[in-house]
Amino acid sequence: MKRYDCLRVIAPHFGDELVVTNLGAVRHEWQALRPHHGNYHLQNLGLTSSMALGLALALPHRRVVAFDGDGSLLLNLGSLATIANQHPKNLVHVVFDNECYESSRGAPTATAGQADLAAVARGCGFANVITAKTLSEFDEGFMRAFRGNDLYFIHAKVEVGAGDVPAAALDSQENKYLFVRYIEKSENLKILTSTLSRASEGK
Amino acid sequence: MKREVAAEIVDSLKEAGVDFVATLTEANLHDLVIALGEDSAIHHVPVTREEEGIGICAGAYLGGKRPAMVMMNAGFLLSTNALATVCIHPGIPVLMLIGHSGGVGEENAGHATVGALTEPVLQAMHIVYEKVGRFEEIRPTIRDSQMLARSSRRPTAIVLNKQALR
Repeated sequence: MKRYDCLRVIAPHFGDELVVTNLGAVRHEWQALRPHHGNYHLQNLGLTSSMALGLALALPHRRVVAFDGDGSLLLNLGSLATIANQHPKNLVHVVFDNECYESSRGAPTATAGQADLAAVARGCGFANVITAKTLSEFDEGFMRAFRGNDLYFIHAKVEVGAGDVPAAALDSQENKYLFVRYIEKSENLKILTSTLSRASEGK
Repeated sequence: MKREVAAEIVDSLKEAGVDFVATLTEANLHDLVIALGEDSAIHHVPVTREEEGIGICAGAYLGGKRPAMVMMNAGFLLSTNALATVCIHPGIPVLMLIGHSGGVGEENAGHATVGALTEPVLQAMHIVYEKVGRFEEIRPTIRDSQMLARSSRRPTAIVLNKQALR
């Protein structure tokens, strides 16, 4: 199975869930399948899981899904220990493991060797760890996590290959503003500060 | 750090609206980290590596929290890429409280280079910072640095020198 096949199977089930995508092809694939202001395209390799943790802790009543990669998570393995200790029940951490740095021309990652990210997650204290090697295993495992009320780690072993989708037309600044305005509106929160003109003083 | 200094920092953070703090401890920050963990008004996330904390704070901000990161300057140097890509580029604020090893009064020779690099790197990243050493500077500096972080949508820093940390 390829990552795009996995995303295509689960995309129709998404409503108002918040999604953090890893750097690379996954953000373009997900934006094509589920264009939504609740998608945050992180422009950093490594911190997808941490960004999703912060979001999940801030909004414990909203489901947060992270679409991470093996190269990214290997940069930030400690985040698994932090996430397990914080234990946000609204977070689903999906890692698409293609055993290579696909967006950087495909050199192998440590998971092409001996490293097993599902075992790392278990060792860090994740109680719910699902490994999927086929599309039906992924669909079943993801939906169990998505419909559940607990922290999940989903390790999807995927083949190399990106979906045939256009580049997401979304700058980082634009994405931040659209996402924050969406959260402000849907949560009735004030996140961005604003100041009145001096001309309003004394009224 | 004396317990009354730690208590003043925690109280000042709350007064400035901070409700979410990620930390990576060190001997000088120990009392502050413990005090943050004991405060029910602040969500405390101890992290394993400082750049992880920057990512967590950024996510918390997007979800409506008002985050701060407590770390030593070695951790700040480690976090430069995270600050550039996760905070500065899209425009996400995080207040940083940075303990300054290797500054004036440092007795450990191993910290001198990290100490000398801290302010030039803050300046190179165009991060506005204030240095704090005296007790009475803590509250107004935290208030004003948090104000600027939120209004400018950028990280700001408070560098706590040895005098403040003792």
